[in-house]
Amino acid sequence: MNETSGMEALVRGRNAVENEYIDFGKLSALVIDDISSMRHAVRSQLQSLGINTVKLASTATEALVQVEANSFDIIVCDYNLNNVSSGQHFLEHLRTENLLSATSVFVMLTAETEYDFVASAVEFIPDDYLLKPCPEKKLRSRLTRLLDKRAFLMPVLKAINARQYDVAVRECNRLLEIAPDERRMLDVLRRKADSELAMQDYASALETFDRAASMRSDVPWIMMGQARAHYALGELEAAAKITKQLIEMNKNYVSAYELLSKISIDMDDEAGAYEYLCRSSAILPSAKRFRAVSQAAFLLGKLEEAKSNSLDAMRLSTGSMVERTGDYLSLAQVQVDLGDQKGAIETLEKTARKHGEVGLFGVAKNAILAQAYFDLGDHEKSQKLLERAKSLLANRKNSFVMTALGKSALKTGDMVLGLKMMTEAIQVSGKDEKRIARHVKKSMVDTGHDDKVLDVIDGGRKRILNLVEEANRLMRAAHFEEANLKVQEAFSIHGENLDALMTAAQLHLLWLKQGGLNDVLVERAKGYLMTLDRLLPNNQKVMNFYRFFNEIVSE
Amino acid sequence: MQNALSALVIHDIKNALALLEIELEQLNHHEGVPVEGQRAYRRCIELKVRLMGFLTLYKHDQSGLKPMIQEIDPLEFLEDLVEASQSVQMGKNHQGHPISVEVDLKKIKQKAAGFFDENLVELALESALNNAVRYAHREVRVWFEQEGNALTFKVFDDGTGFATEPVRRSSSSTGLGLALCEAVASAHGDGKISIESLPGEGTLFAMTLHRAG
Repeated sequence: MNETSGMEALVRGRNAVENEYIDFGKLSALVIDDISSMRHAVRSQLQSLGINTVKLASTATEALVQVEANSFDIIVCDYNLNNVSSGQHFLEHLRTENLLSATSVFVMLTAETEYDFVASAVEFIPDDYLLKPCPEKKLRSRLTRLLDKRAFLMPVLKAINARQYDVAVRECNRLLEIAPDERRMLDVLRRKADSELAMQDYASALETFDRAASMRSDVPWIMMGQARAHYALGELEAAAKITKQLIEMNKNYVSAYELLSKISIDMDDEAGAYEYLCRSSAILPSAKRFRAVSQAAFLLGKLEEAKSNSLDAMRLSTGSMVERTGDYLSLAQVQVDLGDQKGAIETLEKTARKHGEVGLFGVAKNAILAQAYFDLGDHEKSQKLLERAKSLLANRKNSFVMTALGKSALKTGDMVLGLKMMTEAIQVSGKDEKRIARHVKKSMVDTGHDDKVLDVIDGGRKRILNLVEEANRLMRAAHFEEANLKVQEAFSIHGENLDALMTAAQLHLLWLKQGGLNDVLVERAKGYLMTLDRLLPNNQKVMNFYRFFNEIVSE
Repeated sequence: MQNALSALVIHDIKNALALLEIELEQLNHHEGVPVEGQRAYRRCIELKVRLMGFLTLYKHDQSGLKPMIQEIDPLEFLEDLVEASQSVQMGKNHQGHPISVEVDLKKIKQKAAGFFDENLVELALESALNNAVRYAHREVRVWFEQEGNALTFKVFDDGTGFATEPVRRSSSSTGLGLALCEAVASAHGDGKISIESLPGEGTLFAMTLHRAG
C-alpha cells in the first residue's frame, strides 16, 4: 500500500470532499465542555476544518453568556456538563427561551457510558449526536451535511429568525419546487409546518404534516406534528390516537406523554394527566416536569406526591438558570394543606428569604403565610399578613396569586375578599382557564365553600363574555360609541382579556373605516393591536387586523 | 469490585486512546510529518476499532447489548459510513487493483424512517466492509432494503472463486467480525445476518435489523 498517498487522503480528506457551498473560514463555533483537554481537542479539530472563530465555554452558564452575545454557526456541546445542568437541559433551555438562532447548528457530544440515558425520544433533540471523542473526518462529514442542509434552507431560516413566518412559508413553497430529492423536501416541509404552527394556522400545518407523512411513515416529528395540529384544532380524539401510536413505537417519547397529559386535562381527566406527566418525568427528569407532576398531584389531592415532586423540582433548579420562585409557593401551599404549618413557614421565611417580597411572589408569600399562622392559632398575625398581601397586590392581576390570596381570605373568614379574588382569578385566567378553575374549585372546597363554587366560576366566566357579546351586537348595528362602552367595561375587569381585545380591535378598525380618520381612535386601535401581538404573536387574525389598519391609515 | 475496577480501567484506556487519536490526527496536519507519524496514526485507529469491537462483543456476552435507538436516515448513514470508512480508503489504495466502494442508489427505495443504534451498526458494517474489500476483485456495493419494520443492509463484493463462505469464516479476523455483526443484529429486535455465495457473481452479506417497540 502506498502509505503517503493513503495517509494524505485519510488525514486531509478535506480536499476530496471540498464543498462548494461551505466556506468554513467564514463560520464561527462555540465549544462547551467541562473537561479542558476535550475542549481544546475539539477546538483544534474545528480549526483544522478551517474555522477561525472558535470560542470556548466550560459551563452552561458561561455558554449562555456567549450565546446571548453572539450568533454562532456551530455549537458543539458535551452532554455531561456538570451536576447542575446537562447539555440536554442547556439545549432545552435555549429552545424554550428562543435563544438559539434558527441558523445555528447544534451538535451534542456524548460518551458511551451516558449512552443509555440520552433519550433520542425527547422533543428538544440537537441537530446531531456524536459519540466522543469524534475523529475529525467524521466531524467534518457530519458538519458538512448539516451545513449543506442549512445552506439550502437559509432563506427560510432567516425569515424564521425574523419571526416573519408568512415569508418563511412562501420561501418554503419556492424551495419545494426546486428540492433535488425527498430528503430536502422533508426538511422544507418540516420548516413549513413549524412556521404554520407558529402563525396558529393549524389547518395548513396539518395539511403539511400529512403531506410529509405520505412520503415517510413512522417518522416521530411528523407524527408528533400531526398530533399537535389535531390538538390545536380541538380534535382531541385524533390527536390522542396518533400520539398513542407514537408511544407504541417509542416508549420513551417524552413529548408524546406531555401532549397526552394536555389532552387529558382538556378531557377533564386529571388522573390521566397525572399518570402521563409521571411517565415523562421518570424518563427525562427536569425541574419543569417535576413542577407539572406536582401541580397535577396537588389538584388530585395527592399531597405527599405533590410535595416530593415539588422538592425534586427545587433540587434540580436551585442555583441554576431554571430556578423559579413559584416552587417555594407551591411547596408551602402543599405543606399548609398537609398540616405542616411550621414547614411552610420555614420554606417561605428561611429557604426563600433571598427572594424577599418582590412582585407577585410577595403577595402569594404573605397570603400563604397568613394561612399557616391562622392554622397555628395566631389570628392577629394572620390578619396582618393578609392585609400586607392585599396591599402588595394593588391593581395587579394574576390568577395564581389571586387564588392564593382568595384561599387565605376564605380560610380566615373574609368571605367578601375571598369570593372577589376567586371570581377575578377566573376572569383574568385567559388560556389557562380550565386549570385555574380547578385550582379555584379546590381552594373553595378545601375551605368549606363547596356551595358557591359554581356561582364563582360561572360568574367569572360569564361577565366578560356577556359584555363582549353585547359589544359585538352593538358594533354590528354600527353603534360604535355604545359598543365601546361595553368593551371598556370588560377591560375594567381584565385589561388583557383576549375576546375583549379582539372585539375592541375590530370595533376600532370599523369605526375608523366608516367614521373617517381620528387621532384618538388611531392611537387606541394601535394600542389594542400591539397588546394582541404581544399576547398572540404571529396570529393570523391579528396580522390581518394589522394589514387592514395599515390600509386605512395610508388612505 | 474487581469487575468494576476492570471496567473503569478499560474505559479509561479507550478514552485515552481516542484522545491520542485526535492528537495524532492533528499532528498529521503539519507539513512534513515523517512517515512514522502517519503510520502511528493509522495504527492508533486500527487499535481503537479493534478495542471497540472487542468491548462490544464482551458486553454482548456479559449483559447483552443495549442499543440506543435513534431515528436515522439510512441513506445518509450509508453515505457517511463509506465516506469515512478506513476499509474503503484501504481498498482505494490497494496495490495493483484498487477496489471501488459505492452506495448503490439504484437499489434503494426509501419508504420509512430508520431506527437503530448508529454507532453499533457502524461498527458492524465497518467490519463487513473490511471483509468485502479484502476479498473483492474490483468493486464493492452497499445498499439497504426496507420491508415492514425490517431494515436490511447489504454489502456485495465481486470476489468469487474459492473465497466462499467456509473459507472466509475460517479466517480469525473475519470470525470476530461476523460475531460482532451477529451480536449487533440480535440486539436490534432479534435481527439476523447471512452470507450468500452467488457463483460467478460474488458474495452477498446481509444484516437485518428489526425495530423493537
